[in-house]
Amino acid sequence: MSIRFKKLLPAGSMILALAAPMVGHADPAKDLAVAGRALTFLENGPTGRAVLGVVFDPAKPGSVAEKNAIMAALGAGYAAGAVTLTGKAIEASAVGGASGVAALYVTTGVSYGPVGAAGKAKKLVTIGSDPACVSSGACVMGVSTDPKVDITVNRAAAAAVGATFKAAFRMMIKEV
Amino acid sequence: MKKQFLLAGAAAGLALAASSAHAQSMDYGSLQELFGEAVTTSATGSPQRSTEAPADMQIISADEIRRSGETSLPGILQRVAGIDVLNHAAGQSDVNVRGYNQASSPRLLVLVNGRQVYLDHYGVTIWATIPVQLDEIRQIEVVKGPNSALFGFNAVSGVVNIITYNPKFDDTDVLTVRGGTNGAASGSLVSTFKLGQALSARLSLGGSRQEEWALTAPLPTRHEVHDPHSASANLDVVAQLAEKTELRMEGSWSNIQEDSRAAGATYAVVKTITSSGKATITSDTNLGTLQAQVYQNQLTAKYSIAGGIYWKNTITVASLQDLFKVGTAHTFRVGGEYRHNTLNVAPVNTSDVSYDVAALSGMWNWEVNDKLTTTTALRVDRMSLERTGPFLPRAPNANNKLWDRDITKTSANVTLAWRPTEADAFRLSYGRGVQAPSLIELGGLELPIAAGPMTLDIVGNPNLKPSIVTNYELAYDHDFAPIKAKLGVRLFSQDWKDIKTGISTATLDFFPTATTNGGFTQINGSNSKLKGVEIVASGRVTPELGWRADYTLTDVEDAPFAGVNTASRSIAFQQTTPKGRGNLGMDWEHGAWEADANLHYVGDFQFYNAVTTKLTPVNAFASLSARLGYKAQNGVTLAIAGQNLLRERQDQTSGLQAERRVQFTVSKTW
Repeated sequence: MSIRFKKLLPAGSMILALAAPMVGHADPAKDLAVAGRALTFLENGPTGRAVLGVVFDPAKPGSVAEKNAIMAALGAGYAAGAVTLTGKAIEASAVGGASGVAALYVTTGVSYGPVGAAGKAKKLVTIGSDPACVSSGACVMGVSTDPKVDITVNRAAAAAVGATFKAAFRMMIKEV
Repeated sequence: MKKQFLLAGAAAGLALAASSAHAQSMDYGSLQELFGEAVTTSATGSPQRSTEAPADMQIISADEIRRSGETSLPGILQRVAGIDVLNHAAGQSDVNVRGYNQASSPRLLVLVNGRQVYLDHYGVTIWATIPVQLDEIRQIEVVKGPNSALFGFNAVSGVVNIITYNPKFDDTDVLTVRGGTNGAASGSLVSTFKLGQALSARLSLGGSRQEEWALTAPLPTRHEVHDPHSASANLDVVAQLAEKTELRMEGSWSNIQEDSRAAGATYAVVKTITSSGKATITSDTNLGTLQAQVYQNQLTAKYSIAGGIYWKNTITVASLQDLFKVGTAHTFRVGGEYRHNTLNVAPVNTSDVSYDVAALSGMWNWEVNDKLTTTTALRVDRMSLERTGPFLPRAPNANNKLWDRDITKTSANVTLAWRPTEADAFRLSYGRGVQAPSLIELGGLELPIAAGPMTLDIVGNPNLKPSIVTNYELAYDHDFAPIKAKLGVRLFSQDWKDIKTGISTATLDFFPTATTNGGFTQINGSNSKLKGVEIVASGRVTPELGWRADYTLTDVEDAPFAGVNTASRSIAFQQTTPKGRGNLGMDWEHGAWEADANLHYVGDFQFYNAVTTKLTPVNAFASLSARLGYKAQNGVTLAIAGQNLLRERQDQTSGLQAERRVQFTVSKTW
């Protein structure tokens, strides 16, 4: 390789690095903001103060960390449009007995099958940041925010809990 | 006929198959906050994120409008990549997309919340008549290229859809007072009211005045121009009729005076009064989101030409559409529209020329997979012409039956969008747009002029054909997320057929006979081709400092029909379109301070001289506009802004020289 080309290599590497898409990484606070706002596009969705159940697996450090981040973001009340969310941490094994929550936020790492089944039994909208949760039908809605906001709704799961989203919203998201 | 029934049946079947889609009208603000980007319906009629809209579109936000420091819509639009603006006078400009701009620009369809504010008498937008205050605009959506498959006739070079705040969702209260050099003074008030749970309203009022640019050439003379001024009012009311049904009613009025080059190269004073009323019912049903709309625009326009002439134009539009989603990947829109448009035949005013248009349209958006989307839109318009009343004595074409004709034209938009990665997007699009003849071209002017011992008549042409534009475009966008920058490249090609000319008194279109005068009229005089490339880039150096740059290069080649002189017919677009135009802008914010600047460049071109009417060179120029603002306590903002700051006077067209202007603004929000 000539010296001239060797000199160009670092610059070329930088251009390639800049041109490469940024690798997405979850930001629980951003995901929460999108999830909260998305709930306001439910027909007869929550308004005013509502409790978001944050489902976690105490045996999974990632799940616990995400739960902690979500609970910290919720704080004493997280305003998202017409709804102000407060949080209630719920162990995955205890979802069946959970009460007083408007929706469930399923952290990554939780065995979402049983949680989804419990959510359906209670007619609760389940939201997850793990794409597999929504594609499997355990979660009604999946959200991700990096590198851009993506919202996916599982129509069958939504129908199972009686959730209907507003038409304009439906036309701007992915449905599976 | 059988095919029509089959199509209707298929559409009805699709509608019935549509899943239940319960919703309210579109809440732009909430959706924008949710997705972190502007949302729009101007690409397909369906709500979409701006980065996913299958059209070459640029959206100007309310904050960008405010921080531009511009006082007019053309000044704001001038900052959009590929937009050509001819600033003929203080407060009077013509705007078009990517070339083919002209005095009384007819190729850009302009709307406010979907209501046409483009005026059909000349086929022109008189920007000062638009009854909207800058403070009540949520966003301006600029679609580049033809989109008449959605909006109908005249959306050929592009569409500007001005979206105002919705009083149901947005509480907007702003008072702005502005004063500046050259006698400039303006004020506006925007206020939103909630009348119980079910009724919301927004009222806006505004007025402005300034001195006309200095008269530095033999023409126009002091008697041919007046200082421009404007006043307008708008009322927007939303009533929630039922849980899933709402009624939005909008009424407006404007009264303006400005100096126009509507009659060609020379200047004339135009005074217009416009009024409008619009009602839209939107209901979410099991068949989708149904929308029924009716509006009427009324225009009285007086021109200081031919000793004084006026037109009264009334357009009534009724439309019905259904928007629905089938399954998880298919969105459809089906719609029908009827419009009636009528104009007096000036200056005698004993006759009328009118037309009815019936249109059917449809759109299908298919998300093939996560990376690939196709959109197809079709619209068929059938225009039926009519003329009633007497003619000038010995006028050519003096037979109302010549107007008994129908014109049926099809518009189409097809787009294939491919997003191979999160950072890359390609879009390949085809568009076919239809530009209808204006009512004046169709016969709204019958004017005898003395030519020595003879009388020659300027008359309309009932046989004028619509102009057709075909546009092909390949667009690529890349998001350099690590350095917070974006780059877009567009390659485009346009093919125009049957471009309509202006009146030329250099060539008789009708030779005198024993029973009729000779005369002049508009004709289809040329085809034309355009090729171009556009580069758009923007980014943020720090959270406080942003930049943007764009450059659009176009090459126009006219192909006039036999015997047509494009210069004397005012269709010499090869000469009158600059090859290059671009912008370089920055925005900065620190604490309570904010600063913005935009350098606008236009390359060499020629334009019709105000004295000789011949093509005259206009040298390349750059103009700078800037604003410095300070956000004080209690919602008060103080700002100083200016336009054309580089020179006291500057040739931006072949007419009046654009002047440096500076304004001081105080605004209060609550």
